Amino acid sequence: MSQDLESQLRAALRPIAPSATFEKRLIACVTDDPQHSQPKANRVGGAGWRSRARWLPVAAAACVLIGVGLQNRLQVRRERENGLEARRQVVEALRVTSQKLDLAYEIVKSQSSSFTDENPGV
Amino acid sequence: MKHPRLKILLALLAPALAWAAPNPRLVLPDFPALVQKATQAVTITLDPALLSLAARFLDGNDPQDAATREIIKGLQGIYVRSYTFDRDSAYSQEDIDAVRKQLAAPGWNRLVETHSKKTHANVDIYIMLDDNKAIGLAVIASEARQFTIVNIVGAIDLEKLHKLEGQFGVPKLDLDASKAPH
Repeated sequence: MSQDLESQLRAALRPIAPSATFEKRLIACVTDDPQHSQPKANRVGGAGWRSRARWLPVAAAACVLIGVGLQNRLQVRRERENGLEARRQVVEALRVTSQKLDLAYEIVKSQSSSFTDENPGV
Repeated sequence: MKHPRLKILLALLAPALAWAAPNPRLVLPDFPALVQKATQAVTITLDPALLSLAARFLDGNDPQDAATREIIKGLQGIYVRSYTFDRDSAYSQEDIDAVRKQLAAPGWNRLVETHSKKTHANVDIYIMLDDNKAIGLAVIASEARQFTIVNIVGAIDLEKLHKLEGQFGVPKLDLDASKAPH
């Protein structure tokens, strides 16, 4: 019985020569770039996520600040554009008014001079 | 309140009083038909908010800007419609009459009425007075190829208007001496 078991063990544990590619595969595993395999472990693990999560509120606050700043800047810019347009319109309106008052003045002046010419004694 | 009945009565009468008060604001149409025909159309509508905004962008150190700011200080609105055409008689008398009718309302006084046979230009200047103070100005100018209406609402200082005429390369207008020869 014991001899039978021994022979079975011998047969199972007999030395076998490695395959032709075994050495290459082993060297490839040992010399593989650790940067490739390491992040995989981190991605799966919770430590990396937790360290990133710490920055999330900071990033969100920065985004909000940038958003508010941009909106404020846009509002100031829009107000400035509206103000300059209103200013342009005021100047244009006064220019048109002046032009028409000048026209009235010219007509009155020409009529008064022709009236004086026709009635030199007046 | 010592006289609540009086207060109620005034509150009830307020809309009627407001309606009866002279209104220097003219209802200026947008004249869409004229805009289509015109080679140049100027439509300016400046309400109190826009006037106040414009005043903030006028440079106090610039003499012309300072004069402009001084003029618009007491104003509540400036409304301009001006159309230039490339041919004569492109607009009808009805277009003018629609606005002129409004100037027949109480409070408006015709200050100047001019007509040039030579250039076929008519310029009428109306002013609305309240307690001997000008609160509205309207100018209707109809020329062969141009039609312009100006309505200025608010406390218009004629002295400032004289200053305005000195600006923009326009000579001063002697308003007192120019009472219309009809």
